[in-house]
Amino acid sequence: MKNTLIAGILLAAAALPLHAQDTDYPLNLVNCGVDLTFAAPPESAVTIGQAATEILYALGLAPKVSGTAAWFTPVLPEYAEVDARIERLADNDPGFESVVAKKPGLVAAQYEWHVGPTGSVGTRGMFHDLGIPTYVLPADCDTKDNRTGGDGTRTGAFQPAAIYKGIRELAAIFDVGPAGERLVKELQATESAAIGKAAALDLPEGLSAVFWFSSPEVESDPYVAGRLGAPGYMMSKLGIENVIASDEEWPTVGWESIARSDPDIIVVAYMDRRRYPADDVDRKLDFLRTDPVASRMTAVRNGRIVQMDAHAMSATMRSIRGLAALSDALSRMTFE
Amino acid sequence: MMRARTGAGLGLWLAPVLLAATILIGTAVGETPLTLSTVFRTLANHFWQADYPVDAIDAGIVWSYRFPRAIVAACCGAGLALTGVVLQALLRNPLADPYLMGLSAGASTGAVLVAVAGVGGGAVSMSMGALTGALLAFGCVVALAHAASGAAGGGRATQAAAAMILAGIAGSQMFNALTAFTIARSANAEQARGIMFWMMGNLSGIRWEDVAPCAAVSLAGGALCLWHRRGLDAFTFGTHGAASLGINVPVLRGSLIAATAIMVGVLVSKVGAIGFVGLVVPHAMRFLVGARHDRLVPASALAGAVFLVAADVISRILVAGQVLPIGVVTALVGAPAFALVLLRGART
Repeated sequence: MKNTLIAGILLAAAALPLHAQDTDYPLNLVNCGVDLTFAAPPESAVTIGQAATEILYALGLAPKVSGTAAWFTPVLPEYAEVDARIERLADNDPGFESVVAKKPGLVAAQYEWHVGPTGSVGTRGMFHDLGIPTYVLPADCDTKDNRTGGDGTRTGAFQPAAIYKGIRELAAIFDVGPAGERLVKELQATESAAIGKAAALDLPEGLSAVFWFSSPEVESDPYVAGRLGAPGYMMSKLGIENVIASDEEWPTVGWESIARSDPDIIVVAYMDRRRYPADDVDRKLDFLRTDPVASRMTAVRNGRIVQMDAHAMSATMRSIRGLAALSDALSRMTFE
Repeated sequence: MMRARTGAGLGLWLAPVLLAATILIGTAVGETPLTLSTVFRTLANHFWQADYPVDAIDAGIVWSYRFPRAIVAACCGAGLALTGVVLQALLRNPLADPYLMGLSAGASTGAVLVAVAGVGGGAVSMSMGALTGALLAFGCVVALAHAASGAAGGGRATQAAAAMILAGIAGSQMFNALTAFTIARSANAEQARGIMFWMMGNLSGIRWEDVAPCAAVSLAGGALCLWHRRGLDAFTFGTHGAASLGINVPVLRGSLIAATAIMVGVLVSKVGAIGFVGLVVPHAMRFLVGARHDRLVPASALAGAVFLVAADVISRILVAGQVLPIGVVTALVGAPAFALVLLRGART
């Protein structure tokens, strides 16, 4: 009851009008180690990476988005209408020239491996040489080394502060500070409510979990969440221990090791992508229930399997919703 | 003569013992430590209903993951070594192996098209893609070789063998280019990592249902090679020589190459494109037991089996906490071994 009250107060606070500062141009900021200066708000933007796209939509900047690329799942339902009017340059990596051809005032990217020192779309220097500034979401570079590991290696635990920083900086760049502050407050309220809800459950000590993203083949070694990424953040906030000790974002770990660590909870990703058989959440569930070893894990035997939006498992705005979803799922579980 | 017989007799005993010991080691070693006692008890429970108390997850790891993995590694090692024996004999080229025939390249292309380009929309597995790619590549290479040898005047044995090798190189390059194009076009970091593991071999997803097809093609391939051992010997003298010895050259060559394609297609579809086994093992065994195929075929099959199980074990323990693609190990171990065989062969 107390937690519900706190959450209510926070939500009410989020709804209050805010008076964030208008941006004083020129705006100087350091983004993923690169100095940026904006003399005025950009007239338009191309986004590469769904998280960057959805932040701009959430800030009410959809009219300024002239192209998007690198989509993992369908856009959040509340932005479906605005998204339908915006050109999708590519579902995966767009070509450098296709981005440049839109003559964007800003390229906003989710990942450094798209736009970064060795970006597959282009390096930041390539864009900057043409007078196009680039912005990479801090969630992909703050406390993260993208030179190592398949998907980079976290040097420190991901915190939603990186998401909030990205939202605030993008809002400042486009001179929509109040919208940014409102969005941050909403997310913070959701985060606090989820944490409060889980705390009220009086969960048992030493509760453990594994987050299964996908696998190249259903039975082969799965991609699971390392301890420092967004799933690690969710687990730490809710008092759950990650059975995977790796610092990599998505290490490949054998079922043998996972079964031996015997997690209490398994979180499986659902997604629309169908490149690997294990992208399909039903195939994951079928494996867990029929595999002679996996089916003996405590989580499977007790039906403690949570389905979560795959995009929430990345360091994005959706991670906060993932935290809330996990907290809700915990409230429906029993632990003897 | 007496020594040779004694050696053959000893080998007859030693071979199954060596193979069984290797599979047992392959079962005992893995990502997580298990005692030998757990392994023995689990196997005893399954084979002799011994009813030893064993932790259910430990028992599952031994019986459902590691034991079939070791058996499949042995089957694949034997099968890939046999394909090397056959291709090197038929094409009279010491470098002939499944890679040269474009089979592995085709398998990689098929798997990558499924994994990266999304061919099949999730309904087709990478294994099925690999099998289709391997057989398609084989068909292309054979058709090209046939057309090339026909255009060159047709029928000349040396020309036909050369045409096959050149067609294999062309096919490999084309399918490798298709693979690279597909990866460059749309793979992200996650996919590139999965594909790299697959292209260099990965036995992590092996289960009991994979044992039957791998064992079937390896055993059938081995039996076919032994059945045609004299024919394979005859090819040492070239196709004319083989024909003069009463061998029906086109039929034997066609059936053995088709068998090779099926073996590689099935094995690669299960474990990925593991290189070096088909090239190295026959050479090493030729050095040890001679060129006669009545010995070379079983020796290569056994050595291939032991080699691949050992490589799989090494891939699991070489870097603590990380499983390497098995192809990395076969190349790292196989290349120096191959160099040693070459150098010793040159001296003697």
